[in-house]
Amino acid sequence: MADDTLPTCQKTVSVLWPAFLTAGLATILFFTAFDPDVLLQETRFADTSRLGAYSIGFFLFWLLTTSSCALTCFFRKPCNPK
Amino acid sequence: MATPKNSKMDKSDSLASDERIYPRAVHGLFAMWRSIGVLILLGIYYIIPWLEWSERQAVLFDLPNRKFHIFGLTFWPQDFFYFAVLLIIAAFALFFFTAIAGRLWCGYACPQTVWTEVFMWIARKVEGDRPKQIKLDKMPWNAYKIRIKTTKHLLWLLLAAYTGFTFVGYFTPIDQLAARIMDLALGPWEWFWIIFYSFATWGNAGFMREKVCIYMCPYARFQSAMFDNDTLIISYDEGRGEPRGSRKRNEDPSSKNLGSCIDCTLCVQVCPTGIDIREGLQYQCIACSACIDVCDSVMDKMGYDRGLIKYTTENTRQGKQISLFRPRILVYAASLAIMIIGLGYAIATRIPLEVDITRDRTRLFNETDTGLIENTYSLQIINKDGKQHNYQITASGINNMKMIIKSDNINIAAGEAVDIPLRLQVDAYDLKKRSTEIMLSVISTDNTDIEISEPARFLGPAGRR
Repeated sequence: MADDTLPTCQKTVSVLWPAFLTAGLATILFFTAFDPDVLLQETRFADTSRLGAYSIGFFLFWLLTTSSCALTCFFRKPCNPK
Repeated sequence: MATPKNSKMDKSDSLASDERIYPRAVHGLFAMWRSIGVLILLGIYYIIPWLEWSERQAVLFDLPNRKFHIFGLTFWPQDFFYFAVLLIIAAFALFFFTAIAGRLWCGYACPQTVWTEVFMWIARKVEGDRPKQIKLDKMPWNAYKIRIKTTKHLLWLLLAAYTGFTFVGYFTPIDQLAARIMDLALGPWEWFWIIFYSFATWGNAGFMREKVCIYMCPYARFQSAMFDNDTLIISYDEGRGEPRGSRKRNEDPSSKNLGSCIDCTLCVQVCPTGIDIREGLQYQCIACSACIDVCDSVMDKMGYDRGLIKYTTENTRQGKQISLFRPRILVYAASLAIMIIGLGYAIATRIPLEVDITRDRTRLFNETDTGLIENTYSLQIINKDGKQHNYQITASGINNMKMIIKSDNINIAAGEAVDIPLRLQVDAYDLKKRSTEIMLSVISTDNTDIEISEPARFLGPAGRR
């Protein structure tokens, strides 16, 4: 992949944006299935509000998906640079 | 479509990434339609959270309480299915309209277009139109430039902040939000999301603009798959326009061997994505039809016929008949109709009651003093209706089953959930198996149409026959 030809804006966006979309989807699915109040009630995070848990959950998902997108870019680099 | 020649693509890509685009203001039929669309859509967005419905916010996606209120309906996480169907309907509607009319969504209804229009309108009010904006940006920093730029960004940020506030108002009651924001008494996450959404609005509508469409929008990348030769596109009439060239108004173009295009480049100057429509259809084109409006006004001035750039279809261009009823359209329309009717029917006949049964997991079963086998359950009953109901629980499945419950009549307010502990007792001689399926039914005593039966298991010792 001749990634160098892509504008910086596109490079950045192509990692962060798909990650954002999938993180959003994951957040919706995860918190539809699991109520954070129930998940956290036996832990030291029991005082976290639902809104807080959703938000932190979203950013953790985003961190995860961003790492995945970034790793994909990293491994797409040619193995034998000239 | 949308497979431009490679050389062109490279050129426009670098244009989009390096150079700031200053779209010139445009007036005309389609610009008017877009303004109307912008006003209606923004009106809907800003007004809806303030509507009331029987003493609560009419549209409230109450995340903290895990309930979505949409006018008379209340949806729970268990209703996720409806949401999924709604998303599929939205996708098919997009396919349907794209196949008929091209990127109608992009040009008139996409939030990115809508807010960018408003932000550009503010910028033009403060900085002036395209030539003045270019001049201002080239100018070295001085008191005048600082004053103009500060004014613009203040106005942008004000609108963005109100947009962010309204956004959070969809998720937490907006009247309380407004009262608490005045006292600076919001929770940390409310502050966070208002600021996050405000900055996203400011960045996307103020700075990113066409880059969102080109780099971030998945629809822009695959919309060409929905296109066929009968899809409405914006196109430059090359046969009539070329060879392009400047001329005086009273000159006869044929005497100078020229087409209708006077090469004024206004179509490029008004383009929000900075492309030249005369080079053919390109994937950056969001079909906003600004170039149609501006070219028509030029044609009027020159005394030529309008429509050098116009909405047309590939088949019309080739002189063929266009057909609206083609298989693709029919399939999209039929799928849409089926799903909309299905969803409407499902919601209309939905039983506004949800019952979740959990068995006490600490013990499989108890033996009472009188020798009966006892199982303990917890029933979560959710009243999804808009008014309160009284409910009664009955159990069936094993002969002579006794139910022990605190109160026979359970009263649950609209949109509330209640946990009911419940014990069932049977004589061991009535148990044929270790695990027997039983039915727990919840019925509303004031409306017997509202009834739900859920299966559960009754555990006991091995059969004692």
